[in-house]
Amino acid sequence: MRDISMILKNVWKSLFVFSAVSVIAVSTVNAQDAKEGRTLFKAKCTSCHALDQKMVGPALTGVSDRHSEEFLLKWIPNSQGLVASGNPEAVKLFNENGKVAMTSFPELDEAKVKDILAYIKEGEPKAAKTDGGAVAKDESTSGLSIAGIVAIVIVAIVILVILGRASKLLERLILQKQGIEIEEDVPLKVGVRKMFKNKKFVMFFILCLIICLGSFGWMGMWNTGVHTGYQPVQPIKFSHELHAGINQIDCQYCHSGAFKSKNASIPSLNVCMNCHKAVQARDKYDGEISPEIKKIYSALGYDPETQKYDESKSKPMEWVRVHNLPDFAYFNHSQHVVVAEDAIRKAKGLQPTEPVCFACHGPVNTMEEIYQYSPLTMKWCINCHKETDISGQKNNAFYAKVIEAHEKIKKGEKITPALLGGLECGKCHY
Amino acid sequence: MKGSTLAMNKNKFVYTAFLAIAFAATFSACRDKRSTGLEYARNMYDPIAYNPDQPNKNFKDGKTAQLPPAHTKPVGFTEYDEFPNTLEGYQAAGVSMVNPLPVDTVNLAQGKHLFDVFCSPCHGTKGDGQGHLVKIEKFNGVPSYFAGSSSRGGEMKALTAGKIYHTITYGVNNMGSHASQISPTDRWKVVMYVQELQKQQ
Repeated sequence: MRDISMILKNVWKSLFVFSAVSVIAVSTVNAQDAKEGRTLFKAKCTSCHALDQKMVGPALTGVSDRHSEEFLLKWIPNSQGLVASGNPEAVKLFNENGKVAMTSFPELDEAKVKDILAYIKEGEPKAAKTDGGAVAKDESTSGLSIAGIVAIVIVAIVILVILGRASKLLERLILQKQGIEIEEDVPLKVGVRKMFKNKKFVMFFILCLIICLGSFGWMGMWNTGVHTGYQPVQPIKFSHELHAGINQIDCQYCHSGAFKSKNASIPSLNVCMNCHKAVQARDKYDGEISPEIKKIYSALGYDPETQKYDESKSKPMEWVRVHNLPDFAYFNHSQHVVVAEDAIRKAKGLQPTEPVCFACHGPVNTMEEIYQYSPLTMKWCINCHKETDISGQKNNAFYAKVIEAHEKIKKGEKITPALLGGLECGKCHY
Repeated sequence: MKGSTLAMNKNKFVYTAFLAIAFAATFSACRDKRSTGLEYARNMYDPIAYNPDQPNKNFKDGKTAQLPPAHTKPVGFTEYDEFPNTLEGYQAAGVSMVNPLPVDTVNLAQGKHLFDVFCSPCHGTKGDGQGHLVKIEKFNGVPSYFAGSSSRGGEMKALTAGKIYHTITYGVNNMGSHASQISPTDRWKVVMYVQELQKQQ
C-alpha cells in the first residue's frame, strides 16, 4: 500500500512540475510571438484594421474564434486568390465586407501570420497609467486650494471680529462690576463726521481716491477693446498643445488658407476626419471613443459603427472666434506668412523649427486652450512695420515685381495699376 | 488724549491707504480670460457683412458659408477630377492622367513645402512611411513610397502620377481625402515631389 501511495505521489509531483513548466514555456513563447506580431500588425494591418473597432476592414479581436487557423493562414497571405478559387468561407467574408479586396501579403509566411494571430489573441499590453488623469487632478487641486485659502481668510476675519466684540463686552462687564461708569461709545455717524472735519484726513482721503480712480482709469483705458489673453470656451476641447505640440502637425495642415489667402481659415470637420476616422483615443477612455471626438461625429452625422455619414443629422460646429480684427482693418495672412516670412523670422528671432505663425500667435504648441497672445492693436502693427528690416529680399517674387515697376517708371515706359497688383480682388473687395 | 487720537488716526490713514492701493491694483490687474474685457463702441468692431463663420438666418441651413452653385468654377481653377472614387477610376486615372506642370525648381520647391505640411506628418519627410505620427504610434501602417506593394495592386515604387493624384484627391484606406485642403494644381506639385522622392531611392 505504502509503495503505491509513494508512486502516486511521485506521478502527481512530476505531472505538476511538467504542467507548470509547460504553462510557463507556452506563455513565454506566446509573449515573444505576440511582441513580434505586434510589430508586424502595426506595419502591415493597421492601415485597414484595428483590434476593437471597425475600420476599412472588420475589427480583429476574436478573429481566431470566428475562423479556423488553417483558413486564416491561407487568407492573410493571399485573400484574393482564395476568393477566386471559390472557397465558400472566403467568398462569404469578401461579400460581407462590401467586396473590398484585402491587400495580399505574400511576404508573410506561416510563422509570421501565427505571430500576428498571437498578438490579436492577447491584445494590446495595458499601459500603466494615463497622463490625462493626473493632469486633470492637478488642475482641480489648484482650483480647490485657491478656494480653500479664500475660505480660510474669510473664517479668520469672522473669528477676529467675534473675538474683538466678545473681549470688549467682557471688559465692559468687568468695569461695570467694579462700579466704574463708562462713557457711551461715540455713535459711528458722529465719529465719521468728526473725521471729515480733520483737514489732514480729508486731504489723505482725496489723495487715495485719486490714486485709486486714476489707476483704474489708466488701466481701463489702455485695455479697452484689447483682447490680449482672451480665451473663450470652445464647443470642442481642442488642444493645440496635443496637435501642434506633441503630434507636431504643421499649422497649415488645418489652417490651409494661411499661405494662400487673407484668412488662415478655420478647418471644416472633414479635415478633422482625415485623422479621427481612425484615431479615437480609446486607450484613454476604457475602450470608449473619446467624448470630444464623438462631438465631431455627431456634428457630422457620422456613425463610427457603420462608417456612414447621414447628412440630415449634420449641424455646423460653432467655434468661438478668438482673433477678431474689425472690418476697417485689412490684414492678409498670406502676405505675412509667405512674402514676409524671412523678414518676420529675423525680426522676431524665431527658431528654424518654429513656424512663422508663432511671431504673432505666440507659442501655440504649448496652449492647451487657444488664447489671443498679441494685442492686435494698431500700435502693435505699426511698431512691427517700423522695425522689421525687409532689405536683402533678393529672391522674393513680391519685391522683384516692385523693382520691375520701378525700373519701368525710371525709363518712362507705360505702367498700369495692374502691374502694381491693382487687379487683386482684395484691393477693393475686402 | 489728543495726541493719542492723532496717532490712532495716523494708523488708520496708513491702513486705509494701503487698502485702497491694494484694491485698485487687484481690480485693475485681474481680468476674466473668458470675456473680451472692457469694450467701447463694440459695433465698430462687429462686421457689417456676414463673416463666413457666422450664423445666418437668410439661408435655410442657417450658415453663411454656402456651397457655390452647382457647375460653377472659381476663376483660374482647373478641374482634373473626372475619375470616380472607385478601383476602376483609380486604374483609369493611373493610365490616362499626366502631370500638366513642367518639372522645374519652382514647382518642386512648392511641392516640397506642400508635402512637408500635408503628407510628412504620416509619410515622413523622405516618404518612407515613418512620419512623426507613425513614430509616436498615433498612426500605423503607413506605406513607404518605394518599398512593398500597394493595397490596390502593383509595386509602390511603380505608382504612376495619375494614381498618386487620385489617392490625394479621394484618399484610400485610413488616409482621408485631401481635396479640400490642396487645390488641383497644388496636388500636381505634390505628385511631382513624391515622384522625385521615389527617384532618389
